[in-house]
Amino acid sequence: MKYKIAIALLSASFCFSNSVAAQDMVFTSWGGTTQDAQKTYWADPFTAESKVAVTQDGPTDYGKIKAMVEAGNVTWDVVDVEGDYAVQAGNAGLLEKLDFSVIDKSKLDPRFVTDYSVGSFYYSFVIGCNKDAVEACPQTWADLFDTQKFPGKRAFYKWSAPGVVEAALLADGVPADKLYPLDLDRAFKKLDTIKADIVWWDSGAQSQQLLASAEAPFGSFWNGRLTALAETGVTVETSWTNNITAADSLVVPKGAKNKDAAMKFIAQATSDAAQAQFATATGYAPVNLDSNTLMDAELRKSLPDMQADTQVNADMTYWAEHRDEIGTRWYAWQAK
Amino acid sequence: MSDTVATGAVKTKRESTLGYLLPALLLIAFFFIVPVLMLLMRSVLEPEVGLQNYEALLGSTTYLRVFLNTFMVASIVTLVSIVIGYPVAWLLAIMPERWSRIVLAIIVLSMWTNLLARTYAWMVLLQRTGVINKTLMGLGLIDTPLALVNNLVGVTIGMTYIMLPFVILPLMGVIRTIDPAILRAAALCGAGKMQCFLRVLLPLSLPGIAAGALMVFVMSLGYFVTPALLGGTSNMMLAELVAQFVQSLVDWGMGGAAALVLLVVTLVLYAVQLRYFNPARGK
Repeated sequence: MKYKIAIALLSASFCFSNSVAAQDMVFTSWGGTTQDAQKTYWADPFTAESKVAVTQDGPTDYGKIKAMVEAGNVTWDVVDVEGDYAVQAGNAGLLEKLDFSVIDKSKLDPRFVTDYSVGSFYYSFVIGCNKDAVEACPQTWADLFDTQKFPGKRAFYKWSAPGVVEAALLADGVPADKLYPLDLDRAFKKLDTIKADIVWWDSGAQSQQLLASAEAPFGSFWNGRLTALAETGVTVETSWTNNITAADSLVVPKGAKNKDAAMKFIAQATSDAAQAQFATATGYAPVNLDSNTLMDAELRKSLPDMQADTQVNADMTYWAEHRDEIGTRWYAWQAK
Repeated sequence: MSDTVATGAVKTKRESTLGYLLPALLLIAFFFIVPVLMLLMRSVLEPEVGLQNYEALLGSTTYLRVFLNTFMVASIVTLVSIVIGYPVAWLLAIMPERWSRIVLAIIVLSMWTNLLARTYAWMVLLQRTGVINKTLMGLGLIDTPLALVNNLVGVTIGMTYIMLPFVILPLMGVIRTIDPAILRAAALCGAGKMQCFLRVLLPLSLPGIAAGALMVFVMSLGYFVTPALLGGTSNMMLAELVAQFVQSLVDWGMGGAAALVLLVVTLVLYAVQLRYFNPARGK
């Protein structure tokens, strides 16, 4: 508890020292290397241009967004959230409608645009493997679910979100175009077969730690985290077969105090240059369709948008509708 | 804290100073009690007025398993903490003060280190490719790594480590008040070492054990960070369940209900302690 108080005091003092700027806004994301890149390539150029200081906060917390909106005291102006949450929260009245006279949506990947949100970046769940730790790496989701052929622990994303359920169904032989509506009974039955061998990761940093230490020598990972891990010298093999895409979204909570600045920030963050630079740094794909021309051709090969032939799109609308139902079942299954 | 009989003069003085407490009480009331009550209210108001959240919570085998698991982990941690902490407290009580101060400083210092950092350190030590497993395998004691983390073993080790000071400190206080002459008298009367411990020292230090045990048990019931990081999903504890309801599922009704169950259990235990093990009442 003590350190939390210290952090609160520290951030409070930062707030005061920042309040000399004409207008501040707060950007909230998930922390780690991803938010560092968001600060460097989105927030800093935005501040330089508009003179609006951007305070970084985090991690994103859906409980907090709800609390702020209900209390009428919204301190976050732009938040990076998961795509399915963006759709659900928009429908639930927790978000501001985006101002598309400020944000140019004609250039943005339409898969991730709604009235309340635009894509932030998009990523794939891929099969990652620490090549130094094992003789053979799983290549398909079926491989990853095959404990005979590939014995050992495997890492999966802990939270209920698009990705793991889809992977289980693909592993069980459901064709990629017949995934939705999700057959949850079948998915959980398949997951039961590997449950004892799963190590859950609840943050990107933890997933990297598990793979690098070979605590779990393979598993399902966000592609960008594998790129970052490979740069640190770990021999990582990535299989893109049936990579499952999901996107983060940028949203503005209802009642945000700096709505105008928030819209301008989103416009800047989703611009072709900002998206290209962010993608170059993180290994996640840009949501701006013009960004590709600004990027190194060699590097682009490692991004999810170049793996489209075998790609499976997680259905955000389906997830938004069934988020609670799947979540309740997911956590109950985990606790069993 | 004092065991002396309160005289009338002392009493009035105590009452007149009560006013100084007011700012602190108000602060706690507004910034702690009121928000907690608001969350608890949601448990009977959301999604509609009624007890449906409690029905769902107490009627589901999954959630009951989380309750049982919470009690089991808290019990195990309490037991292990006492078994390990007792000899340490005893040693601290009989050591020359120069040395006991140093040992005590080490114990207290560990409490001041960031909880997350300490928990992550255990993760690194305990994992399959961690120091402990590598050493044991290097020595040829085991062939395959032991599963020390992401399960009950990991939670027990991590939490016991964090809870130990809370057992050692009250126990040491109580053992120090025991007159060594009593032990000598017991030995003179022919009691063996074991008998001395079991029939003299242990009963006399019981208030310390009770105080430490209850503190550890109650703190363990609501523990979050360590079980979340060192435990597996099948060892989920109540606090994690509350966090899941509030943050991931954004179902505050259920979150409030789970929090209230935890609060009630804690208060009942606290009442039991006040009734039966209050050291100030001489028992």
